[in-house]
Amino acid sequence: MEFRTKIDGQEYRVIGQVMGPQIWMHINGRTIVLERNPQRLRRGKNASETATGHILAPMPGKITKVMIETSEIVEKGQPLLVMEAMKMEYTLKADMNGKVVALNCKEGEQVSLGKLLIEIKSESDNKA
Amino acid sequence: MAKKIKRIAIANRGEVAVRIIRACEEMGIETVLLHSEADIKTRAYRMATKSICIGPAASAESYLSIKANIEGALAGAADAVHPGFGFLSENADFAEACKKAELIFIGPSAESIRILGDKVKCKELAQLAGLPLVPGYQGSNQDVAFLLKEAEKIGFPVIVKAAAGGGGRGMKLLKGMLGGKELIESAQREALSAFGSKIVFLEKYLDRAKHIEFQIFGDSSGQVVHFNDRECSVQRRHQKIIEEATSPSLTDDLRRRMGEAAIAIGTMGHYRGAGTVEFLLQDNEFYLLEVNTRLQVEHPVTEEVMGVDLVKAQILTAMGSLILDKRKIGSPKGHSIECRIYAENPFLGGIPSTGNLGLVQWPEGPGRRFEYGFETGDQVTPFYDSMIAKVIVWDETRSRAIQKMIHVLKDSVVFGVRTNIPYLIQILKHPEFVEGSMTTRFIEKHFAESLVEPPLSKSEEKLVEEFKKVNRGQGDSSGLNFSDPKSYMIGEFGRGNLVSHSQSPWQSFWRNV
Repeated sequence: MEFRTKIDGQEYRVIGQVMGPQIWMHINGRTIVLERNPQRLRRGKNASETATGHILAPMPGKITKVMIETSEIVEKGQPLLVMEAMKMEYTLKADMNGKVVALNCKEGEQVSLGKLLIEIKSESDNKA
Repeated sequence: MAKKIKRIAIANRGEVAVRIIRACEEMGIETVLLHSEADIKTRAYRMATKSICIGPAASAESYLSIKANIEGALAGAADAVHPGFGFLSENADFAEACKKAELIFIGPSAESIRILGDKVKCKELAQLAGLPLVPGYQGSNQDVAFLLKEAEKIGFPVIVKAAAGGGGRGMKLLKGMLGGKELIESAQREALSAFGSKIVFLEKYLDRAKHIEFQIFGDSSGQVVHFNDRECSVQRRHQKIIEEATSPSLTDDLRRRMGEAAIAIGTMGHYRGAGTVEFLLQDNEFYLLEVNTRLQVEHPVTEEVMGVDLVKAQILTAMGSLILDKRKIGSPKGHSIECRIYAENPFLGGIPSTGNLGLVQWPEGPGRRFEYGFETGDQVTPFYDSMIAKVIVWDETRSRAIQKMIHVLKDSVVFGVRTNIPYLIQILKHPEFVEGSMTTRFIEKHFAESLVEPPLSKSEEKLVEEFKKVNRGQGDSSGLNFSDPKSYMIGEFGRGNLVSHSQSPWQSFWRNV
């Protein structure tokens, strides 16, 4: 849908479309994506900002290499697995020190966006 | 001995498949699109005269399978095959298999591909001809520990490349011994998955070089000419993002010498059809990088400044009926820039963005050209390259072309998947790019961090609210379900109208701007 409107004396042309849970808008050369229900997913909050030990698939793609095993001790920044999407490789790294408590994928598997691939638990948590 | 071509099989997908179909339509040639199961919802699928599904989504079993493509071409009763770029376009075995099946391969001979397309053999040939080369290792020993030792000998930084590759796939930069083993292995894996061969070679990394390439063309008489140069220094992870013709940094003397070198290597390799000779230019010295034995993604910028149709010329050459008159190849006119539109999120470090496309608009105008493979309602899948479109502009000067490109990108609308458009606009505005002095490290130097998405301004917030209000109102009165992009599309304009910029009801709206 497209319309023109005036805000504070300035005219804007707005193109917008609702797609499932999202609203897509094009305003003055900028594309904006909004969640229709902002509580469900906080916009701009990137999962990697806070270390959770939950390694999620950042995109749909194929697991091409798994470099760790269950119950292995890993260090923050250590490469865990390699994914491939759109013919480019991405290496997923540990976001904290700890022990791999779950490995939910295998080499050659096609995974969807947001799938929990690996769970790391901090060693200090276990002691406490 | 002119050969007749009535139907061409296209062993490719996306925007290049569309480009080939367009050329064929003009020449009255039918097309057979050889596609995978994942590529039904694409523009090429709708445009081709015929389409044949040759395999599943995984490219190894479809687009990279010689057998599947040959069988598809024969089943479609094609008499020629156009491989596009990427996939099997530089595969000598494929060219040979076509010949065996009595299909005309639109491209150079298998022998030419074997010599020029193989980066290692091409360098040996160039060495014989006395052309300048970048120091490196291109032997057959592929042991990772050995390669690492060779890299140390050459001196870091060293670049690892797929011998059979191109387009940045399977390329890694080694900065030192640390992590080198993983990077070489990763390059070998990418090479195997993208080109079917894990052989890599090493090259010294020139750290302030410009990427300059020459468009060569071998006509039916065996004559090799060039259509001047392109500059593609703006690269991320060795993948080109912005290309232009001609390079802002070549003197007449350099242009002449590099052009002569390009023709020399093409002639030695008995080159036929469209090809590209890539060079690195540093401190006014040029080095031969590689020869791409195919049509190049960025061929439109050359077409714009030289006034040629390279795809048509390829087909005519394959028919045996193109003889170029060297004296009639004029000098380049004006300036042309191409931006590759990738489906990725520029605010999350360029991570691929996939899904169904909502509204897509590429507003027409003078000096604007759009090459795209996907339209409203189509699906961008994770199986292939993330390039969904190319935007090309032409203007009289470089600075005007840059201004025009920024304007066109701001005009363009892609809903449903994120694109690199905000990233491209930032690059086009950067002083180093505007000046034309950028090197292949431009992105790494100035755009290493992902872009920060600016928060909504006050007026944008108001507009969002306004949209929600209008959307609710319209949704009620028309009875359309706006949350379903398809019903919106069909309900309002009918499929095909909305998505085609030439017939779009939006066009009159854009003209008023």
